[in-house]
Order: sequence, then C-alpha cells, then structure tokens
Amino acid sequence: MPVQYILREWDFQGLNLKMAPPVFIPRPETEELVDWVLEEEAQRPCAAGTQGGPLILEVGCGSGAIALSLLSQLPQQSQVIAVDKEEAAICLTHENAQRLQLQDRIRIVPLDVTLGTLPRIFLGGGVLDTERWWTHLLPWGPMDLVVSNPPYVFHQDMEQLAPEICSYEDPAALDGGKEGMDVIIHILALVPQLLKGSGSVFLEVEPRHPGLVSSWLRSQPDLHLDLVAVRRDFCGRPRFLHIRRSGPQCGCPVGT
Amino acid sequence: MRARILWEVAGFLWSRGAPGPARRSLSSGSPQLEELFARGGPLRTFLERHAKSEVQLQARGPELAVVAKLLSEKELELRETEHLLHDENEDLRKLAENEITLCQKEITQLKHQIILLLVPSEETDENDLILEVTAGVGGQEAMLFTSEIFEMYQQYAAFKRWHFEPLEYFPSEIGGLRHASASIGGAEAYKHMKFEGGVHRVQRVPRTERQGRVHTSTTTVAILPQPAEIHLVINPKDLRIDTKRASGAGGQHVNTTDSAVRIVHLPTGVVSECQQERSQLKNREMAMKKLRAKLYSMHLEAAASKRYNARKIQIGTKGRSEKIRTYNFPQNRVTDHRINKSLHDLVTFMQGEYLLDALVQSLKEYADYESLVEVISKKV
Repeated sequence: MPVQYILREWDFQGLNLKMAPPVFIPRPETEELVDWVLEEEAQRPCAAGTQGGPLILEVGCGSGAIALSLLSQLPQQSQVIAVDKEEAAICLTHENAQRLQLQDRIRIVPLDVTLGTLPRIFLGGGVLDTERWWTHLLPWGPMDLVVSNPPYVFHQDMEQLAPEICSYEDPAALDGGKEGMDVIIHILALVPQLLKGSGSVFLEVEPRHPGLVSSWLRSQPDLHLDLVAVRRDFCGRPRFLHIRRSGPQCGCPVGT
Repeated sequence: MRARILWEVAGFLWSRGAPGPARRSLSSGSPQLEELFARGGPLRTFLERHAKSEVQLQARGPELAVVAKLLSEKELELRETEHLLHDENEDLRKLAENEITLCQKEITQLKHQIILLLVPSEETDENDLILEVTAGVGGQEAMLFTSEIFEMYQQYAAFKRWHFEPLEYFPSEIGGLRHASASIGGAEAYKHMKFEGGVHRVQRVPRTERQGRVHTSTTTVAILPQPAEIHLVINPKDLRIDTKRASGAGGQHVNTTDSAVRIVHLPTGVVSECQQERSQLKNREMAMKKLRAKLYSMHLEAAASKRYNARKIQIGTKGRSEKIRTYNFPQNRVTDHRINKSLHDLVTFMQGEYLLDALVQSLKEYADYESLVEVISKKV
C-alpha cells in the first residue's frame, strides 16, 4: 500500500493534505505545475479576475492539491471551481479545504467532463441535442484560468503501472484512453465556452503529449487554441503545457 | 563606502562619553592588542613609517595618519597631566584626575579606531552561513553531545537575534544527533560564527556509561559562508540533478516517496545531497543552498590559504580537523586551545548566551591581533 495511504496524509507545495484511497496521490512533478501557474499569474497586469484575483477552474481535483495550493498562494480574492467525477475526490477536497480554512474560496462540483455529447462545434456542423452540462459552471463567470492534471496514462500502458498504483489508486484518475488524450481533448473542447479571451490553460501531461496536443489543436481550427509553451519537469521531461486562444485576445468567451 | 562607514564610526566614538563594554574589554581583556601599542613596538614603527611615507599603503591611509597623530598627541597630553597628580594643590590634583580619566578614554577609542582601520575586513563577514555539526569519535555519547552543541548554537542565534533555520536533522536512537545543518543569517553572523569551526571535544561521564568512567568524545563543527547571489553565479547547464524519479516516465506513472535529490556540479565534481524533506522541490532548494556554500568555500580557500597559513586561528578547511575546544564537565570548565582561554560554569556556557559570546569576542580580538601583526609586518 502506498505510504501516503498508510499515513493518511502527505505534503504538497508546503501544505499538509489528507490522503484517502482510492483518491489519486499528488505527484511531485505537479508541484511545478503550480509554480508555473503562480509565475504566470504574477506577471499578468492587475486585470486578472473581476475582483482582483483570478477565477480558476480545476478539472479533476482529486485531493484538492492543485486547487488549494494555488489558493493559498494567490490573493484573497482568487477563487477556484474544482470539479471531479469521483465522489471520494469531492469529499476529500472538501475536507482538505476545511483543514486549510479555504472552504470559502473554493466551490467543489461533482462533474464528469467526458459525459454528455461534445459541443456541436467539435462534431463539425450538425446541430445536436447537446447536454450543455458545462453551463452549470457559467453562472460563476468566464474563467481566467483552467488548470488540470488530467488522467494522461496511455490505456495500453495501464497494466505496466507498479502494483502500488494499480491496486490502490483509482484507475479512472490515471487512464487517459487511447494515447492518453481522452480527458485532455474534452477539457480543450470546453475551453472556448468557459475561458476568457485573455485566459490560459495549464495542463500536466505525459512526455509524448506535447506533439499530440499540438497536432490535435491544429486539426481543430474552430477552437482557436494555440499551444504557446511547453515546460520541462525537474527530470528534464516535457511535462507541462500552456495553451491560449489564438488571434486577438477578446474579452468574452465564444458562445455567451 | 567602507571609508564612509569608518568615519561614521569615528564620529560616533568621538561623541560618546563612556566607552561601552566592548571597548573596556579592549584594554583589559586583550593583552596582545595592548602590547602591540607599546612604545617602540612594531605597530608604532609601522605608524611612523606610514606617516612619513608618501605612497598611500591602503585606501584608508589619510584617516590612519590623522588618527595615529591624534593618538600620539593624546598620549603626550596624558603624560604631561600625570605630573599634576603630585601637585600640592588638591584642586589641581582633582582636576588632573578627571583630565586623565577622560584622556585615557579617548586614547582607548583612538586605538580602537586604528585597529578598525588596519584590520582588513573579510569579503564574507556580512554573509549568512551554513552550520554543520557531525558526531565524531565516541558513538552514542558523541551523538548526544552533538545534539547539545547544535542546541547551544540555536540558542546563541536567538540570543544574537539571528535567523536560524534547520536544514537537515539526523537524530540517533536515544535522542542524540548524527548530523545536522542549519542556515544562520543576520547582522555579522559569519563574523562571529567563523571561529566555531573545528573539532569540539567533550570529557564527561556519558549517560550510557555504567561504571562512572570519564570518556572523551568529539563533535565536528563546520561553518560555511553562504554567498550572496552576486558572489557566486552558477550556470544551470553545469548542474546534473539526480532524483529517484529520473528513470521511466515519471509523473502519474510513478508513485515513490523517495524525494532525495542529488546535485552534481559538473565542472568541479562537487556533490550536494538532500533527502530531508518530503517535497522534492524543498530538497532541491536545500541541496542547491549547500552546493553554493561548498563552491563558495572552495573559491575562498584559494584566496585565503596564503593569508591564514601561519595563524593560530584557522578558518576554513584547514581548521576543520583541529581540536579547538574542550568541554570538561567534571571540572566544569571549557577551554579554547587556540587562545588558551578557559571559562568556568560550563552549564551556563552551553546555554549559548553571554558566556559563549564572551569567548567569541576574545577569539575575534585575537584574530584581529593576528591580522594586525600581518599587516604591520608586511614589507613596504
């Protein structure tokens, strides 16, 4: 059994978080994702968010590691909407938010971003009865940032994972389907509906993904998204992606 | 910049009435420094030579000449006033006494100024430092003593209002300490702590001893100055960072709690490791800090090795294996072997406050003395 589940706690970005199986255990690389987001935020002119702190959407919050470490290092007015499809993750994020007294700045929403049909723009033409589930999130306003460490393991690699991972952590938090792209694609597809024109998407991915994501974005010109930067982790592997809208940075997301 | 600071110090010294404890100890606690000022001695010869020389020996030359001249004048004044002590007139005698006291104070201040002007300041004096303690000979007892030494310095840092941040801490099974390191920062931290490096020896009946015999154990203390950013620039390309996660795909594919980090500085081969923290980020930061301190040490060694060769008070790697101090519990005495000075009340000493500070002061004065001797013995 992984040590973090035995101890029922582990550290992330200087915060001590409760751990509970089968909720995904934060990896050390992900600390660098948080650092990158904070660096970028620090460089933006004060226009971030309507209230002086960014509004962030985290997809697949797990234990709340990313959401809570961002909140604890961003201005008081920053807020996070954290979604996860797993009940246990929702509970654990809630518990950790309370432990850290951040519950007033985070909204934790059970949501499976892969459910419901994809928006019509993706299907190339015909109007379908789309379940616009993401409209649940719209009342909170367009997001400044979308951050995620989505399941990105290639499905064919799942059985090679070490036993302590296979046997204890939720496979749904790891399995990204064919080429590990399923959840990534769904996140990028909803970006135009939810992200401000000047907003950014930060993703943690597998080392083979930068090329795959880049190709996919080029094949979806109607999304108007560009991969603007790839950052390596401390082991030198390409690990993090920064994606933005291409063309002139308009103020409102398409579709509102 | 330094000249300006010295002038401010000089002005401050001039305007103050009674000398503070530091200056009082200059005349009473530091016989070597007093000796240097003896009439006809090497320092006097040096000052006279310096006054006559047209070539400025150092940047502070003009100030030195002025202060030296003032000192001579004050000493002359003192000698002349002393005659009046034997005068028949009581009022005159009393006046003379007052004059003499004032004169002596001023003379002490002037001597202090001369020392300040002559003793070269180290590049590192204002730096922060990394303190490392490692248990030496003596098994469990050595480790217990190491823990006490570490605590003593922690309290000393608090006493001096320095910042003390433990970096690594490897305890032993019975509450002792195998190895620990801490980052210490604050006003003149390195200037004070630099004399603590070396082997500290303890003589006492260990807690683990059943037959009441006195044992001798050791702790090694190392003091590494921490360079400011500008003093040492490391190119990230020169570093190789090794971690347990380095093989394989990393990320979601791996869950290992081994967050140990090892940094190798490729050009020099210097290695620095840290596995103290759960966070790899934190371990990396600490390993980098230690690497910088090690590289800086090496850089300083090259420059300082010539200067410090002949001295009793060795700083840096030369001094690392020297037995500098013995803590004798049965005799309740701590002795520093470099200046052959003993202090009593060992328990109070280990509290890391006034007594330790007094010893550090004495060491500093002796080091100044050695510096001074070097300066004045240099051939023009």
